[in-house]
Amino acid sequence: MKFVRPSAALVVFSLAATAAGLTQEQRKLNQQSFEYAWSTIQKVMWNPMPAGLDWQKVHDEFAPKIQSARSMAEARAAMQDMIHRLKMTHFAIVPGGIYEHLDLSKSGDGATGFDLRILDGRATVVSVVPTSPAYTAGVRPGWQIVSARGVNLDDIIRDVSAALPETTSKPLLLNRAVSAELEGPANQKLPMEFLDGQGDRVKLSIQLTPPRGNASTFGFLPTQHVWFESRKIGQAGYIRFNLFLDPTYVSNRFAEAIKSYMRCDGIIIDLRGNPGGIGAMSMGMAGWFIDRPGVRLGVMKTKENTLNFVVFPRPETFHGRVAIIVDELTASTSEIFASGLKDLGRARIFGSVTAGAALPSVFEKLPNGDGFQYAIATYISEGGRPLEGIGVKPDVPVQLTREALLAGKDPALDAALAWIQEKGNSQ
Amino acid sequence: MTRRFLTAAASLTLFVAPFARAAEDALPKAATIMDRFVEVTGGKAAYDKHHSEIATVELEFVGKGIRGVLTRYADTSNNAYSNGEIEGIGKLEEGVYNGQSWENSPIMGPRLKTGAENADAVRDAYFNAPLHWRKLYTAATTGLESVEGDDCYKVTLTRLTEGKPEILYFSKKTGLMTRIDRTMVTPMGEVKINATAADYKPFDGLLVPGKLVQNFMGNQLSLTTLDVKSNVDIPPDRFEPPAEIKKLMEK
Repeated sequence: MKFVRPSAALVVFSLAATAAGLTQEQRKLNQQSFEYAWSTIQKVMWNPMPAGLDWQKVHDEFAPKIQSARSMAEARAAMQDMIHRLKMTHFAIVPGGIYEHLDLSKSGDGATGFDLRILDGRATVVSVVPTSPAYTAGVRPGWQIVSARGVNLDDIIRDVSAALPETTSKPLLLNRAVSAELEGPANQKLPMEFLDGQGDRVKLSIQLTPPRGNASTFGFLPTQHVWFESRKIGQAGYIRFNLFLDPTYVSNRFAEAIKSYMRCDGIIIDLRGNPGGIGAMSMGMAGWFIDRPGVRLGVMKTKENTLNFVVFPRPETFHGRVAIIVDELTASTSEIFASGLKDLGRARIFGSVTAGAALPSVFEKLPNGDGFQYAIATYISEGGRPLEGIGVKPDVPVQLTREALLAGKDPALDAALAWIQEKGNSQ
Repeated sequence: MTRRFLTAAASLTLFVAPFARAAEDALPKAATIMDRFVEVTGGKAAYDKHHSEIATVELEFVGKGIRGVLTRYADTSNNAYSNGEIEGIGKLEEGVYNGQSWENSPIMGPRLKTGAENADAVRDAYFNAPLHWRKLYTAATTGLESVEGDDCYKVTLTRLTEGKPEILYFSKKTGLMTRIDRTMVTPMGEVKINATAADYKPFDGLLVPGKLVQNFMGNQLSLTTLDVKSNVDIPPDRFEPPAEIKKLMEK
């Protein structure tokens, strides 16, 4: 989990470096990396090794290959082959340069004031904080981001995409790699180039500002900014928050919102872009919608423990329709919450398949500079399906498009509202 | 902390029982060990004088940077109430009121404890439990084991009502309790926990561990006793649960 500030040049460098022969020191580092990855998998695996693997035999088969590898690429390929034997998602070796791109810890305290997704291979603005300098400068949803600080984002998307395995969490990691390029110290001006709605190139210098929300700390985790918004849309209550953190703030605002929407036909909980946080908050929040004690959202299993995510019903619960909007950046606690309420028949899910990263898959830097991703547990939702690497499949799939953004539309929200409206009409 | 006897209880498993009987022949009776603990922590007379307490404890999840302070109120009514603030989480409250235990936190909201979890909490709230352990458990000496270099008698407690086995370790030399192994029963599942007790300090005539370190699920929770006030008048309404808990009780 030790991240270093990335540089696009490192990607090129790391690829170029593979052609050169390995020094004794590099061989030693590769060997150390191999041993670390092998033993970590043995340590964290929550089930007996999948597919009847004899993990010691796997070690003995691959150790000589690492030792005799003539290049970084060869050593990496051997380690990747070893990991592929698991036939599991969220276990990967990525080249060092790519690993640097996945770093979020480097970010600084300034943000652009807009949110992005990768749509059709391009970084695309999906929302802009109305009070932000980006909004004042004219940035709007649907604009594509070409470059930042002279770095072509398409190149990053292409390189990172090629290096990452095809898993449900790939969009999350891609987004992270691109977002990392757009951060820096607050008040710094970030030179950027966009393609606007008409396809014209627009060069802007966007002033970075402190991120939206309240600065929140939890243990040794880096400070994160937490925001919460809610409003009534017709006969529906709408709730959105960016993290399951700062329980006093988020849970209290959530409680106030639910209480004020008790008479609504439905409540929409928008978890798009919400990467999760404190897992247990899902149990308390689900208690606003379930009045039966003893039910659970799912179960988490690590090598050592089994933990039921039990719902604790509130004294007063909401009985109307519950719609949850998700997308490919919805992860972890958000997935546990959405999937559990779906499996319990209490919520209908709108949007696109989630990240399938219900548990912290750890990303570590190996001694040889490559990145090592591994999952430390599995989570089975109440319906009996794991979330890791699969994600939450929406009941009503709605894909976001650039055209919809440029037209000022939010198709997933519209679909959720229509479903709630349908209930209102039938009464 | 120790005065509540240390929380949990146990029912002997079939596996443990035969060994327990054999061990009893060579080792001191469990009752002797338990009664000695009462003596070395202040004596029966001191416990008898002790009818209420307010304890303040600092807690820390070691290596995680999460800290807080909790205050616990308890008296001979066998009701209890704790509240405190944990950094990054917020206000935590829990209590036992007329045989019903509960907790309330911003993470999970208000909830009533049921079954074995409630039985454990009610037992934990039994005031001066070391003095009255016979009302709560049966006990058997099940071995002699070293705890951090100190030879300790192992005493297995079997709960008279529902609950899992609990093993206490008492120093052969000092008679003080040095460790507890127990299984916490929670709606989330069973969690194995061990706690070491050290740095006993006198508070109002009774010895209390200044430090308890609990290990569970890969976490280490350190509890440091900051203060214990004994025989303070605690108004009965101190133990009354908050409104949200009362609503759940009425539901």
